[in-house]
Amino acid sequence: MRGAWTVYLKELVDALRDRRTLVTVLLSSVAVGPFVLVLVSSLVAGIEQRAEARTVVVAGIEHAPSLANYFARQTFVVRAAPPDYEEQLRRSRLGDPVVVVSAGFEAALRAGEAPLVEVVSSASNQRASTGVGPVFRLLRGFDREQVVLRVALRGVAPALLEAVRVEERDLADAATRAARLATMVPFFVLMAMLYGALNAALDTTAGERERGSLEPLLMTPVPRAALVLGKWGAVGSVAMLIAVLSCLSFLPGQWLLRSEALAAMFRFGWREAAWFVALLLPLAGALSALLMALAARCKSFKEAQANATVVVLAVSLLPLVTVFNQEGEAPWHLWLPALAQSTLMGRVLKGEALPLADLAVPMLVSAAVAALSLAYVARLLRQSVLR
Amino acid sequence: MIRVTRLHKRFVAGRGRRARSVAAVAGVDFVAADGAITALLGPNGAGKTTTLRIAAGLLEADAGSVSVDGIEVASAPRAALARMGVLSDSRGLYPRLTARENIVYYGRLQGMAREAAEARALALARLLEMVPLLDRRTEGFSQGERMKTALARALVHDPHNIVLDEPTNGLDVLATRSLRAALLQLRGAGKCVVVSTHIMQEVQRLADRVVLVSHGRTVAEGSVAELCALAGEADFEEAFVKLAFSADERAAGVAAAASASAATVPASGGMAA
Repeated sequence: MRGAWTVYLKELVDALRDRRTLVTVLLSSVAVGPFVLVLVSSLVAGIEQRAEARTVVVAGIEHAPSLANYFARQTFVVRAAPPDYEEQLRRSRLGDPVVVVSAGFEAALRAGEAPLVEVVSSASNQRASTGVGPVFRLLRGFDREQVVLRVALRGVAPALLEAVRVEERDLADAATRAARLATMVPFFVLMAMLYGALNAALDTTAGERERGSLEPLLMTPVPRAALVLGKWGAVGSVAMLIAVLSCLSFLPGQWLLRSEALAAMFRFGWREAAWFVALLLPLAGALSALLMALAARCKSFKEAQANATVVVLAVSLLPLVTVFNQEGEAPWHLWLPALAQSTLMGRVLKGEALPLADLAVPMLVSAAVAALSLAYVARLLRQSVLR
Repeated sequence: MIRVTRLHKRFVAGRGRRARSVAAVAGVDFVAADGAITALLGPNGAGKTTTLRIAAGLLEADAGSVSVDGIEVASAPRAALARMGVLSDSRGLYPRLTARENIVYYGRLQGMAREAAEARALALARLLEMVPLLDRRTEGFSQGERMKTALARALVHDPHNIVLDEPTNGLDVLATRSLRAALLQLRGAGKCVVVSTHIMQEVQRLADRVVLVSHGRTVAEGSVAELCALAGEADFEEAFVKLAFSADERAAGVAAAASASAATVPASGGMAA
């Protein structure tokens, strides 16, 4: 055990002295998460700002004094559409849908001929299409007002026109809505941890062989199992360190959130960060061991990197299952490493309870992966180094 | 004392139908005494490195045995390794650690306390004349500096038996001289030193006893003078060639050398003109 501790301390110092790699990992994995968060927040804040601004962009408002009157009563400010609004919408230069009023609107309305009002946007223009809903509701309001007036004039109760009352009720509470935005946080934390483990794992196995320092190491009386344990501990520690840093980076990240509503919805505090770290700990061990097992049989660092791509790809693609799979969470999700952790982290963000059974499954899987991988590495070292 | 008894090792090269078995060691036999430098001399591919790797517990022998101070390497590798300091042909250092950290790490792995390992690192640095190197990272060390650090690392636990595989490979004259001085000092301290090499001068200057290895076998054993007498040659190189190679091999070697020199003579003549 003392041998394992010696190896652990040395490998940890060695990994932490690899400043260039650490800085790259920190910049590429740890800093990117909060950065994306802030980007998304500014997009959402822009949408909110437009909703609060209560402006409506109209082409040909001069043809419809009664509509202009209705907009004014609803405290909406009318902005005239630019002449080339179609082109601008197509090129995403205009961020609002455009209401197009036909020339004979007022006369047709009086004659009861149902004049046409178009709401023009483009599905490829994200900002404009999100604004279509509110504009539609505004125009429906005008339509309803006109109908009610006409019916009342003829002595008919307006309630007769409403056979069914349709209302929308959103079941998502603030936390669930926030989780939709925050689904990217587990992904970033996972990737940061993986990249943290990657280099250290490759360096202590394939790197050691490539440098020619594995053979002298195996000629010391330290048991092979102790060597493997020490190395694994160090790689896992580096991975966890990066994961913790990545989790913590989201804490100040949310202070930068521009939208107040969003900041209120994005619940990622110390409690969530602690849960994340606890959930990631077994995975850090499993991934470190797996990467070491893949790299241990490689003769060079380069070969090991090529092999490790498989793990990187799996860890980055598995969490996407929940995105593509519209049927929601399935029990088997908890049996796949990475997918299980991202699912559980998602639940933490939603503020849902985590039953012990759901925690035990991924932990067992991680333990099994780690044990198998480490046994494999130890066996490789025991067999021979002369390959 | 290191005793190697009738050692055999075969390697399988290739796979499937193309696989063929190559005898790397086929009966190496020698005893390296305490307080003496024993040289394992042989041409490239004679089986020196394989023998030393078996001695260091990295490979298992097919037959025969190696014992270190009476401890069988095959049955008690850890106890045997604790009594041995091995400088093998792969002598990689950790580039991000200083020379001192590299040496102390191995001391700790050998079960030494930190203070003892630190003290020993300093003592070895004095012996190997590398004190100014101690606190530099080994990244960017020269060949000689690397070798000294690797040797200090192998000797950190003050082993009674010291095994060096081609220690002067890639070293310049000064580094070679300082290594030689260090080895003589270790011999003076009563250590059992085994050096494998294919360089005649080194053997002549260092070795108390020479074990000639060729084609995986011990072909002759004795001091330099004894081997010369055995071969009936005054020159040690001639004696070595006579003892290590068969008559056919020597004839083939002479023919190859002759054709090579015939090919190069006009060219060198042209250079001179």
